Amino acid sequence: MKIIKVAFFLFSLAILASSCKKEAAPGSVDNIPGLGGDSWVSGQIDKYILDTLTVPYNISVKYKWDQFEINNFLDKTLVPPKEEQIIPVMRAIKKVWINTYVAEGGDLFFKRISPKFMILVGSPIYIRGAIVEGFAEGGRKVVLSNINNFRIKGMPGYSVADNGVVLRMFHVIHHEYAHILDQSIKVPIDFSASSASSYTSDWLNISDRDALYDGFITPYAQSSKEEDWAEMVSLMLVNGKPWFDDLVNSINYTGTTANGTTAEKAKARLRQKEAVVINYFKQAWNINFYSLQLRTKAEINALLF
Amino acid sequence: MKKLLIIIVSAVTLFSSCKKDDESIFSKPPDERLNDALNAYQTQLAGATNGWKGLIYPKGGGIYTFYFKFNNSNRVQMLSSFDSASAVNIKESSYRLKAIQQPSLLFDTYSYLHVLADPNPNVNGGPVGAGLQSDFEYYFDSSSADTINLVGRFNGSKAVLVKATQAEAAAFTSGQLANGLLINKIQTYYKRLTIGSASVDFNFDPATRTIKWTDVNGNLLDSSRMTDYFLVLGGIGFTKPITVGNLRISQITNLSFSTSTQVIDATVNNAAATITEVMVPLKVDLNAPFRWWNYAAVSDDYWYSFNGFHANGVEDAFGVNKLVSSGNLPYFFLIYYPKYGTTNDLFAPVFLDEATNSLNVDYGSAPRIPTFTSDGRALFRELGEYGTYPTTGAAAASRQVLYNSAGFYLVQTSESSYDMVGARDGKSWISWYSSK
Repeated sequence: MKIIKVAFFLFSLAILASSCKKEAAPGSVDNIPGLGGDSWVSGQIDKYILDTLTVPYNISVKYKWDQFEINNFLDKTLVPPKEEQIIPVMRAIKKVWINTYVAEGGDLFFKRISPKFMILVGSPIYIRGAIVEGFAEGGRKVVLSNINNFRIKGMPGYSVADNGVVLRMFHVIHHEYAHILDQSIKVPIDFSASSASSYTSDWLNISDRDALYDGFITPYAQSSKEEDWAEMVSLMLVNGKPWFDDLVNSINYTGTTANGTTAEKAKARLRQKEAVVINYFKQAWNINFYSLQLRTKAEINALLF
Repeated sequence: MKKLLIIIVSAVTLFSSCKKDDESIFSKPPDERLNDALNAYQTQLAGATNGWKGLIYPKGGGIYTFYFKFNNSNRVQMLSSFDSASAVNIKESSYRLKAIQQPSLLFDTYSYLHVLADPNPNVNGGPVGAGLQSDFEYYFDSSSADTINLVGRFNGSKAVLVKATQAEAAAFTSGQLANGLLINKIQTYYKRLTIGSASVDFNFDPATRTIKWTDVNGNLLDSSRMTDYFLVLGGIGFTKPITVGNLRISQITNLSFSTSTQVIDATVNNAAATITEVMVPLKVDLNAPFRWWNYAAVSDDYWYSFNGFHANGVEDAFGVNKLVSSGNLPYFFLIYYPKYGTTNDLFAPVFLDEATNSLNVDYGSAPRIPTFTSDGRALFRELGEYGTYPTTGAAAASRQVLYNSAGFYLVQTSESSYDMVGARDGKSWISWYSSK
């Protein structure tokens, strides 16, 4: 019996050893289509972006169409930008946003804190009768739409009526950048202290005037303290100090608003927020906000007037 | 025991067989096959030295003729039948082949294709946020050596690419795609196509890319006599052939326009043909003016027109769309209100008050009940005014055309719409609609 047991054991081993090795070759994995991102023969625009934005600031610009980058609006009809628009738009952005911050905050500051990825959309994004001019995600990606209607002085077909598109685009960029600054070094709570009671998610139903009379620069600013911050910073930069002063001084009404705000209180709210913006830029980033404001406004005026 | 063991062992040995052959039914792994497919399409597209002629079928209607020339560095040159500029100016943009579920052809920067898809209504006149519902990202549906069928990834619109011949390539690059648009040089409401002794009047609408041939009564009511047209090299083609005399026509080609005679010479079915201005149509519906007036009069309703008068090839020739009321309300439409009073009608611009969602009439002109002539015209004469009718601007110009002494003949275009065409030269008209 023992021999049989041994024989059986050996036999089992033999069978085990003779088990089958299946060659499931995975094939060549170093040539999966699309792996490593899209590629194309690089042209003049690619070179401009590389030289002006990617090499110095590590910012890339996606102008070739990929609707999945606009993932909030996958169901919307959109078109890519016109090629002849891309360099003028990026040149303007560099002047109004990059150069101004670099001049006031320094190269290192800007390289460290800037969105790294810009997506360009040619058409406006139409949504429920309104137009979305752009949006940002997570402090990294900024989507700019309506690029095909961007016209500044010297471009064919420019008229003063085009200024709105240009100003709104810079508004978007400065708005998103203000968010990133806030997310990097938190804005002190006293920014929103006096306005805190008036924030509402129902901002879409508030008119420009009603928002202003409650001490908010736009209705969107009334949606939350983060948006209030970004709207304050971006509009003060894009429109300049005289505009902001006029806006504050235009608050002249008697009595109180539906929210119980008086004209004095509304003015005080805006002035207090302005003061925090200026302090924050100085203390957090060592940037003179008024100087940045003058510089930004001057660059915008040079493009438009 | 021994037997049992032997049986077990033999059984195990018997079934431990091995099938080594698990070859895929395909000769190569999927990645390689995908790369091969993309490379094959790339070779096919860029390898066509004379380029490709394309027909684009937006979901919003119409057919657009394109010319494509692809190269191997992601660039494509294009012509498009969208307008007279895009038909002659070659524009270069970018394209790329990519595997997204299927092998796909993406036109990834703005080109003439995107003009059709653009959601901005100022670009192509389509609805806001939708455009003409065309595509610029396509997947390959099927292909043979000289034909590629594409399907849009967003709107599902179709596109067909056919390899062009050397002669076709030369014709495209010399601007012959624009020839069909020469028809617009003839600015009358009706245009007459004459082939030998047979002739027919037709109305050509560049906005909707439709062509309508008059019916036996002189109206545009017969849907079997309406068809979409598209531009072909040197002329236009019809999606549905039309019978003129004993000819079945599916194309008019070789168009050339003479400025001195205002006549287009063309070729139809290998025979010479002409397209000329029409002042008096071959067939006038004598009863149409009264029918038009009475349709609204009996139901106490009015006729409205959004764009006002078309004149000498210009839609809204006087700019009524820019009118504002004295209270700064925006223009909404022009009305003609038969029997507004007992002896008079009303002709006026109407303004929209969005705040109260109501329509306002600031001022108006009061025509007499029109005279209906025996040769089928309506003549308008002014009886008086409501309010103070402006003496300059779009409203004044519209009034002046209405009261021209030659009057208008009317062409019924649907049960509740008529086109009112100036009888003086046939080059001005207004489209009236009724809500009833």
